[in-house]
Amino acid sequence: MTLLKSYYQLCKPNVVYMMLICAFVGMLLAEESVNSYGYLFVALLGITLCAASAAAINQVVDRNTDASMTRTDQRPLPQGEISASHASIFAFVIGLMGALTLYFFVNTLTMILTLASLVGYAFIYTIYLKRATPQNIVIGGLAGAAPPLLGWSSVSNTIDPYALLLVLIIFVWTPPHFWALAIYRKDEYAKESIPMLPVTHGVVFTKLQIVLYTIILFIVSILPYVVLMSGEIYFFSALTLSTIFLYYSVNLYFSKDNEDAMRTFNFSIYYIFLIFIALLIDHYLI
Amino acid sequence: MNSIKNLSFIGICMAFVVIALGAWTRLVDAGLGCPDWPGCYGFVFWPNDEVEIALAESRFPMFPYDINKAIPEQVHRLFAAALGLVAILLVYLSFTKTKNNSIKKLSLFLLILICCQGLFGYLTVSLNLLPIVVTTHLFGGFATLTLFYFIYLKSRNFEVFNQINISKIRLIASIAFVVLIFQIFLGVWTSTNYASLACADFPTCQGSYFPEMDFRNGFNLNQEVGPNYLYGLLDNPARVAIHYSHRVSALFVTFIFLVLMSRLWFSDAAPLASTLGILLITQITLGIINVVYVLPLYVAIAHNLIAACLLLATFTVNYLAWRK
Repeated sequence: MTLLKSYYQLCKPNVVYMMLICAFVGMLLAEESVNSYGYLFVALLGITLCAASAAAINQVVDRNTDASMTRTDQRPLPQGEISASHASIFAFVIGLMGALTLYFFVNTLTMILTLASLVGYAFIYTIYLKRATPQNIVIGGLAGAAPPLLGWSSVSNTIDPYALLLVLIIFVWTPPHFWALAIYRKDEYAKESIPMLPVTHGVVFTKLQIVLYTIILFIVSILPYVVLMSGEIYFFSALTLSTIFLYYSVNLYFSKDNEDAMRTFNFSIYYIFLIFIALLIDHYLI
Repeated sequence: MNSIKNLSFIGICMAFVVIALGAWTRLVDAGLGCPDWPGCYGFVFWPNDEVEIALAESRFPMFPYDINKAIPEQVHRLFAAALGLVAILLVYLSFTKTKNNSIKKLSLFLLILICCQGLFGYLTVSLNLLPIVVTTHLFGGFATLTLFYFIYLKSRNFEVFNQINISKIRLIASIAFVVLIFQIFLGVWTSTNYASLACADFPTCQGSYFPEMDFRNGFNLNQEVGPNYLYGLLDNPARVAIHYSHRVSALFVTFIFLVLMSRLWFSDAAPLASTLGILLITQITLGIINVVYVLPLYVAIAHNLIAACLLLATFTVNYLAWRK
């Protein structure tokens, strides 16, 4: 039972759940109404397996770094609950299962996009970008932003501009989200010589970037309304949420309290969740 | 129907002229250029030669005659009276030449409104430029213009409009309309209280983004006018509060209009979006010039007229969005 739990933790369930919600919203928005919930379930399953595989690969690659950071040293690999080789095989098997599920039951486009984001996150980001540049999470964020596109394409079998808009929202949201955490964990990143922005360019500069990205996010979050994809419910929700996020980031900029970074990080999670919920409610009420 | 169309178009043009003349009167501080109403020192036009001026000053010894202030005031009144005649004619035509009930109602309402405007013109003088009266008078002017325009739209079915379907943007169009009217109020209040030059720099105000402001006195609608309100009575922080509110609100209006314009654009109504955009950019530019170049007369009048154009353009968008 503990082993099962360890494998479960190997998949970064919290992150994967959030991705699933985004993918699911992408699916629901792709059409006026849902034709088959069974089909959506299968598609979600395929995406889930690939996302979990990417998370597991990430943990295998980063196992030494994870061991020396308090945020991650509870993960199953640093704890010695699972060996690196077992985790690798597990990641490979579920990744393959996910890809085959998407190929046979969904469509080739979705499989390619899903594998591309798996490679983008588990290999390009984790192995190369993370240690190469302070822009690591900005570029790598593209892979993490893919779920709504994956969900959408699984239903429509196209790369829809509206889906790319949802990707854009997550893409712009990622830097302020992650940098808030990076400010809070700055010393640990510095110890591992991972070039996170607060380490290389200082906390003040990072806070300024957070404010600037939140302003861009404010504008980007309005776009679904602007292009007639969503209605007023979404518009007012996005306005409210983005204003609160902006408040958090400006407050963080002027604050000397390190806890404010954590508060901003926590709110950013609620933010992206509620933005997608608002998209969904708006879609079904208007 | 044709005659109503033409007459309402003439009404629109004349309403623009009357609004411009009203702004001119305000901007050259000529609101009390004639102490009486509806004549000016008892004349239909204004005292011109020495004999008439002597007669005028004997009639109103308390009010020394200044021809440069009498002319704007009385020209404004005469054009407004002519506009009143147009409104009367429009009511006559709408009751004889058309069966369209909404045009009948609108033209009647318009005539009543213009009569009220005349009354408010009188109150402006008799209550010595009481700010709330001056502000209402200008709003009435904008409402008159909009009504002429409304009748024009109804009497003339533009074919290009039939291809536009923008019912999806109803709510944001209404919000933009309300926000614009609020912004016009702040602009009028700025002018009425002589607060246009309260901040001489841009974008800062008196060198600061957070100048000292007194909202309580700045937006007290029941303030004392003293002997008269010429050149305003508020102290500096109150005027700054009014002026700065107009600026900050402009930012907000711009944001709302950008959203509205984008949604129009994506609704295949790009011409409407561009019109709003051009007017908006012009209006903001004129507003900045007003501050930086110390309120040049013609720029200030243009700022007023473009506000009226923006109102009509936003009204058009709402008309098209809400029509059945």
